[in-house]
Amino acid sequence: MTFLTHEIGSLAKPPWLVKTSQGRELDPSDIEHARSWGEKVGVEGHEELVELLERGGADPDEVARWSSRYCVRLQESAGLDVIWDGEQLRSEMYAWAIAHANGFEPRGTVRSFDNKYYSKSAATGPVGLREPYHNEEFSFLQSVAKARLKIPITGAYTLAVWSYDEHHTPKEGRLGAGYGRKQEIEARRELTLDIARNLIRPNLEALIELGADWIQIDEPGASTEADELDLFVESFNVSVEGLDCFFSTHLCFSDYDLFFPAIEGMSGCRQYCVGFANYDSRELGTSGADRPGYEVISKFRDLSYEPILGLGVLDIHTDFVESPELVRDRILYAVEVFGDPARIHVCPDCGLRTRSWDVAYEKLRALVEGCRLAEEALTRATV
Amino acid sequence: MAELQAFAPGIYPRSEALVQATRDLDRGRTTPEAVDEQIERDLAELISAEQAAGLDLVADGMLRWQDHFRPLLEAAEGLETGALTRFRDTNTFFRAPKATGEPRLSQPLDERYVAPLPGPRLVTLPSPYALAHGTGISPREIAEGVLKPALDGLAAELVVLAEPFLGSDGLDDLAAALEVLGGGPKLALWLEFGDAKSALQNGAAELPVDGLGIDFYATHVDDVPQGFDKLLLAGVIDARSSVPEEPREIAAFVERLEVEQVALVPNGDLQYVSQQVAQEKLARLGKAKTATTEAAA
Repeated sequence: MTFLTHEIGSLAKPPWLVKTSQGRELDPSDIEHARSWGEKVGVEGHEELVELLERGGADPDEVARWSSRYCVRLQESAGLDVIWDGEQLRSEMYAWAIAHANGFEPRGTVRSFDNKYYSKSAATGPVGLREPYHNEEFSFLQSVAKARLKIPITGAYTLAVWSYDEHHTPKEGRLGAGYGRKQEIEARRELTLDIARNLIRPNLEALIELGADWIQIDEPGASTEADELDLFVESFNVSVEGLDCFFSTHLCFSDYDLFFPAIEGMSGCRQYCVGFANYDSRELGTSGADRPGYEVISKFRDLSYEPILGLGVLDIHTDFVESPELVRDRILYAVEVFGDPARIHVCPDCGLRTRSWDVAYEKLRALVEGCRLAEEALTRATV
Repeated sequence: MAELQAFAPGIYPRSEALVQATRDLDRGRTTPEAVDEQIERDLAELISAEQAAGLDLVADGMLRWQDHFRPLLEAAEGLETGALTRFRDTNTFFRAPKATGEPRLSQPLDERYVAPLPGPRLVTLPSPYALAHGTGISPREIAEGVLKPALDGLAAELVVLAEPFLGSDGLDDLAAALEVLGGGPKLALWLEFGDAKSALQNGAAELPVDGLGIDFYATHVDDVPQGFDKLLLAGVIDARSSVPEEPREIAAFVERLEVEQVALVPNGDLQYVSQQVAQEKLARLGKAKTATTEAAA
């Protein structure tokens, strides 16, 4: 019995990619970063990148492809079973999708938290797809990856809820009129389903045509409004209905209780990868009292269509590196609750892009080692 | 016509230059001093924008506040930062307050968090109910231990207590906490982002504060109770929308308000739009005041 391990999403962009993209000069430490990580995680031909960076004037797209190779090897080297490139070929999960869609206009930079920000756009007209925007990336990764690939795509509800809506929301007449939640939700529904039908679904079809067999629909915004969860579910179903692929969804940093009972109607979702470690204790132990962050997982267990749970075991908001023993205990608790190890995959809470590669790598190695410890413990228990 | 003011409480968005400076700081590419200098430039720009718009009270935009709670949590014993938590239907998060013991402010908020300003000013703090939310501590204990000591050191024409969480319940607890905070600067409770109907039906207009803020993009004008006798902070700028407001529509709306004292304000922190959008909204807040005054003349 083994636990399947996988990444969730983003990894930090290395300094040599950031600076090249911004047209800035590299420091010797940047070149050393490329050299040392190339050696550390076994990037074939990394000397070519080092030479390219030393010469200067490198094409940012070419450097981004190198960064993609590095992140693939970083995850493979850490021991993950299913990988992606950590968003190296995309600007960011929201901005990339919006930049390739019709019907949106940029509205500037908004803070996410602390010194983290994102570019926010407004829906200003009917949504349309300019061209499938993950095909080139997926084809490239197929040529690079040794491990199995999973490709994430930002879901319709999150794109809608993270955008202003200047198209469906009335521009005038709301003030003092008691413009209620019913009208707000109806406007959001129009935008969300427009995105699901005309942006997400065509992308999914194109990726499946290219050979993608696991697509993760990222919905970190899914639970932001408790009374819109049915809309999130409807948009997921509209996006995937009738398509032949393993579809999962990623949820994070929410009150997960809110998802129930709405996601009982989301049977096309075969796996939920969910962040829990952010809410959990760092003490060891496998009882419910020891694992407060995981209290809600029994609700995922009880879904009638028996989805797999992608168990978030790494807190991505801190440099604290979870010990393999802590990862082990989180897994063992989940196995105890589910009663079926086959319904547990193991992953970080979310993308690790706010951590350095050093920290991300150590966290991922601890995740893999924690799985091995859990497997050993379960094997011992059954002997 | 009602006595009319306009001002902008809450957290104001950072400029693109400050965004870049803080990103650079996190990546070790600049110094804290350079970020401080950019914050001062942002503050000067904000003050100029508020003065140009003709706002009656100047606010510092809380440019160093990471969220509505952090500086108080860091300055208090018995409280600490908890889980990163999403704020409503935005992609903006805050560190939820977490209790570790009896809450006590150990040092007052310094000039980094309440910047010196020219002319009459307002200060925004979290409401005791918001700061206590989810901690297991009562709003009154938070008021006594943290907010009252913070208020005691403040020189402000008005302190706006930002309250995004209050529902139909919780009013009694909030009232008890607000009683503790009286006796200093004038206080206004700002019910951010949401329909205030149930709170008003349950007696929010009777809370022991001098002013009450209502989001009129979610609340019907008829839900303001007859005989409302406080300063009404009328949320007429939608801080969750990128659409610039029409001053004449706001002026027409104000004519429908049957209250004696009105302050035109956003319906929540402007940090939920970019600085470019916020600047335009701030200017239109001032134009709305002018349009309202002209319409009444």
